[in-house]
Amino acid sequence: MSLWFALSPLIVLTFGGLGLMMADAFSKTRSDLALGSFLTFTSAGLFALALWIMGGVPAAVMLKVAPYIVLDKFTLFFTATICLGGAISSLLAGGYLPEHDIDRGEFYALMILAAIGAVLLAAAGDFLSLFIGLETMSLGVYCMTGFRRTNPRSAEGALKYFLLGSFAAALMLYGGALIYGATGSTSIEGIRTALTSGEFGTLRDPSRLATVVIAMVLVLVGLAFKISAVPFHMWTPDAYQGAPTPATAFMSVVVKAAAVATMMRVLLVAFGDKASSSWSSGWPPVIAGMAVLTMLVANFIALRQENVKRMLAYSSIAHAGYLLVGMVAAWGQGNEIVAGEGRAALLFYMLQYTVTQAGAFGALILCGSKGKEAVTYEDLAGLGRRHPGAALPFALFIISLAGVPPTAGFFGKLYLFRAAVDGGFTWLAIIGLLNSALGAYYYLRVLVFLYMKEPAPGAAQATPMKSGYIYGALAIAAALVLYFGILPGKALEMAASAGKSLGAKIEVREVPTKMPDTATAALP
Amino acid sequence: MNAIPIPAFLVVAGIIFGIGAFGFLVRRNVLVALMSIELMLNAINLTFVAFNRAYPHNHTGHVFAFFVIAIAAAEAAVGLALVLSFFRLRKTVRSDEGDLLKN
Repeated sequence: MSLWFALSPLIVLTFGGLGLMMADAFSKTRSDLALGSFLTFTSAGLFALALWIMGGVPAAVMLKVAPYIVLDKFTLFFTATICLGGAISSLLAGGYLPEHDIDRGEFYALMILAAIGAVLLAAAGDFLSLFIGLETMSLGVYCMTGFRRTNPRSAEGALKYFLLGSFAAALMLYGGALIYGATGSTSIEGIRTALTSGEFGTLRDPSRLATVVIAMVLVLVGLAFKISAVPFHMWTPDAYQGAPTPATAFMSVVVKAAAVATMMRVLLVAFGDKASSSWSSGWPPVIAGMAVLTMLVANFIALRQENVKRMLAYSSIAHAGYLLVGMVAAWGQGNEIVAGEGRAALLFYMLQYTVTQAGAFGALILCGSKGKEAVTYEDLAGLGRRHPGAALPFALFIISLAGVPPTAGFFGKLYLFRAAVDGGFTWLAIIGLLNSALGAYYYLRVLVFLYMKEPAPGAAQATPMKSGYIYGALAIAAALVLYFGILPGKALEMAASAGKSLGAKIEVREVPTKMPDTATAALP
Repeated sequence: MNAIPIPAFLVVAGIIFGIGAFGFLVRRNVLVALMSIELMLNAINLTFVAFNRAYPHNHTGHVFAFFVIAIAAAEAAVGLALVLSFFRLRKTVRSDEGDLLKN
């Protein structure tokens, strides 16, 4: 297998993004660009799937770009997930942007270029490529957030996101610099070797140990910010509300997927040694505490929201909490079987969350048209009777977010909490379950307004928009939500195999055919 | 030439990073916040380059510093554009006056 083929998802995205930027200058109708963007994401995702079906990238090819880009099955899984999220978001943009008179072609190029950063972030096996990926992704997303240039909310959301995002990136980078100082390496594999072997005396020398601990805290803060875990979530509702809705969908799925991938790689591989990943002296209790805090705070604030988009933003934070529960399960107290189950559950949760959340934002777009947007719960009142076709997809994604069978969200939560229980974190699973019940309250409130309430006389009513792109995006998302909800076996199997490949040593099995000259010369 | 030991550089870098972080958290002027972030990134560069002296067998730290410089430039470009668009709409560069979005 050639290196070109192994890197094909990234190459397709790069040329697609640059090509769309060129096409923007020449095309008359912007909606062609949405289709082009969709096709770019789809083909990149299909290339990743093709690599997967061929049994993954051979070690000899992987070594050519290691450690900067790690092309294991874990990366391929996340590449496919990111491309899926991107494909749905670009179709949503194809309907949303013309409707709201912000139909400019840069949006699609920005989206694809940000997705390149996301794929690079998921694939990064070195702090250098990790940081480049992080910034490529973030800069694109900041621009997408501020895309409604005449809207003060959009500008404000983008500014807040940018300031806090760069601050968190700087903290994380300082952590990377300290790690480099303590271990002499910036690669994930090298850090792990230095921390486990103690070759550099990392764990014996108190000043080095202190440096590693500070670095770990700084890196954790940076990652927690990107997946929007409490207490680093302040930017999330503002950025999500201010951004154009397709950008919100993109942020809530693609950015989160890439951040979860990095978090797994950094915590489970780089800091996966016995001391850093023990309950008494390492990161697991911090992650568990953050998970509890994230779920509780996000769900309680979500209860009080009147704005549906903001409610979905808090719901996205709450899901970051569930993902952190999965993170603790993926650690599994160092027990490999439990950890394997945890990783599979976490990856499956990420996959189902991608289609569900992108679909929910898509349904919100569908329910409103220019001047008659669906902003608050009141706007949705009676929509189920007036426009059943628009209300039905919304209901489907909402019950999947709440975790009701037969939708993808149910199996996502089931596997996640089961993995947590098997890992000995029954208390964490119980808190997670209670929070799901709390979440069901505000999710169901959407259904109540859709189907059981009538709009107050004279109140503004949301009118659904008409767009083939939105219908297409919702059809894809709904089909996948039902598919993962009825037949989760295949996806779970893939998630398990992807989780297993994380952190596996890249080795070429072939025996060298010829002894090196120096070795023969040394013989008597 | 080797008169100044590595920890001296690290302390300076740490202080600059601290000033940057403090300035970011305390000042409400967005432009000052941007400058504080630049300060933090430059402190990181100094840390990388200083640490590279302890590991002279390769240039990891040096190369890292170059990438950080490039990324800081890109970040400043996007950041200033966002500040500009915020200023056009709100006629202010103070972050506490961005109060349209809240619970």
